[in-house]
Amino acid sequence: MSVWSRFVSQHPTRIVFGKELRDAIRDKRSVMAAMSYAFFGPLLMAVAFFFMITQLTDPSDVEIDIKGAEHAPAFVDYLAQRGIVERSKPWPAGQHPITLAIDENWANHIAQAQPTPVTLTADFSSTKQRSDIRRIETALEGYSQQIAYIRLQMRGIDPRVISPIDVVNQDTATKGSRSALIMGSAMIFILMSVFFSGMNVAIDISAGERERNSLELLLSQPLTTQQMVLGKALAASCFAMAGGLLSVVLIPWVFRLLPLHEIGISVVITTADMCLMIAMLLPLALLATALQLFVSFRAKSFKEAQTYISFVLMLPMMVVFGVEFTNTKNPLLYYTPVTGQHQALLDIIKGEAIQWLPLAISSLVTLLLGWIILRFIGRMLASEKVVFGL
Amino acid sequence: MIEVNELRKQFGKVTALDGLSFTAPEGQITGLLGPNGAGKTTCLRTIYGLLKADSGQALIDGVDASIEPLSARRKIGIFPDKFGLYERLTAREQVAYFASLHGMTRADASVAVQQVFERLDMLAIADRRATGFSQGQRMKVALAQAIVHRPQHLILDEPSRGLDVMSTRILRDLLRELRQQGTSILFSSHVMQEVAALCDQVVVVAKGKVVAQGTTEELCALTGETALEEAFVKIIGTDEGIAA
Repeated sequence: MSVWSRFVSQHPTRIVFGKELRDAIRDKRSVMAAMSYAFFGPLLMAVAFFFMITQLTDPSDVEIDIKGAEHAPAFVDYLAQRGIVERSKPWPAGQHPITLAIDENWANHIAQAQPTPVTLTADFSSTKQRSDIRRIETALEGYSQQIAYIRLQMRGIDPRVISPIDVVNQDTATKGSRSALIMGSAMIFILMSVFFSGMNVAIDISAGERERNSLELLLSQPLTTQQMVLGKALAASCFAMAGGLLSVVLIPWVFRLLPLHEIGISVVITTADMCLMIAMLLPLALLATALQLFVSFRAKSFKEAQTYISFVLMLPMMVVFGVEFTNTKNPLLYYTPVTGQHQALLDIIKGEAIQWLPLAISSLVTLLLGWIILRFIGRMLASEKVVFGL
Repeated sequence: MIEVNELRKQFGKVTALDGLSFTAPEGQITGLLGPNGAGKTTCLRTIYGLLKADSGQALIDGVDASIEPLSARRKIGIFPDKFGLYERLTAREQVAYFASLHGMTRADASVAVQQVFERLDMLAIADRRATGFSQGQRMKVALAQAIVHRPQHLILDEPSRGLDVMSTRILRDLLRELRQQGTSILFSSHVMQEVAALCDQVVVVAKGKVVAQGTTEELCALTGETALEEAFVKIIGTDEGIAA
């Protein structure tokens, strides 16, 4: 055995790390907690996306109430061709009926080239029915335009005169960037997995150690509090990383199973991308553990620590969701912990170039912050006030 | 040798240690006897550097734990007031953990663990996880943790609390054996019989100070009583006069 490896194997940090890791792996509750988030997160996401996609690509008919259909058979046929049909079943509870009322004078109005009233009654604020209403409106506009063209032609006028602007939509969204929206939420799952997966272990080795009355004896052994805290933090980080690893592997796999191509999304995550994601999560896992240890070393019991930690978990969640939903674009976000990793993850899945320098800086800042918190915990545990709760 | 000189410690308005001084020499069992709240645990925690005294010092072979906590702690074995075990580790793993924290190599630690388990007659539970251990078995693990690295000083805080007769006997036999080997043993207790049965020297503590010191016989002679318990009550009750 070389001097170095002997030094490493006998270093107090290494000894604490080895013991805590072994202890945690034997704790079924910790292992389950670490793995279940990483496992159920992607699964939940898959189910949600699956429903979203089926809704978006829904080819089924829109069934609505049509009043006065007998007055305008040609119009009703036109609607039916576009998948808008008379409803035969009653409306389900809680869903607002959509009603299209055709005026009884339809035929006269059309014959006399007068506007004929068609009343569309619906809850326009309902998000569920928005795409249905939109389809009805488009069909109405289409029919209206068709009649207008015929009338103009019958009067010897080029129908193009009423279309002064020819709008050509050129969609510059690449397939990748369109998918970013969906993938954005997937990336939040990946980010949060490191916060959730190590949580149980972090509580067990800090508040749990105190609760089972073994903290005092451990602190009385010939090792510094810094060595002890670092050993424990590394063990909990391993669990955090295991969760992160699992979600990085599972989430692209879930995407491959989903019919994303039907809504024009393509997701290509290469093995290299996955390796980069994992590397990016490493400093974050240490920071997450440091934050969790910080609060749970102050708690007297496992339960108390759980309460505190749930507050700590809100912090990165709020930051990431805030950035995601307010669509904040500030270059500073690339440099700070949590958001830096979030932005880099988004760049990876959008297929954009990684901004290496900001990523490196945010990783360093994350690492440094984690380290500072760990040092602080070490100092905290050297204080008799914290240890004995004086 | 453990030396305690003029230790003072204040917790808010409560004076826990009020100029406590005594020595626990090698090859002797020193009993720290006192009622609850006398400052025994505070004193022991100060010796191994978990608490910092406001003034005075506690030396282990001349090393002050408040200045060099690690080298002071390397010299001692601790049997704490409350001993929690790691429920998911086996007895062997727990004791080996503490041996390696004291700097033993893996090979040395496993030999030392085996020896201490043989000595404490606990080979039957060596490879069982601590969940489900009886109080006596837990005590043995804690004791093995305290002595596995063969410390020159052993500090025990209320070691016989909650133990049955058999466990108490094992503990006493072991302490006598270690004394034979030259270990200086300091233990706190509020149980008279135990102190009388074991100690070479009794330090009676009340309200953070030493109120009397000596062998059981000396204390009895001092108070004119035949039983240590009577002597103890008299000492605690008639604080002045004797302390001087």
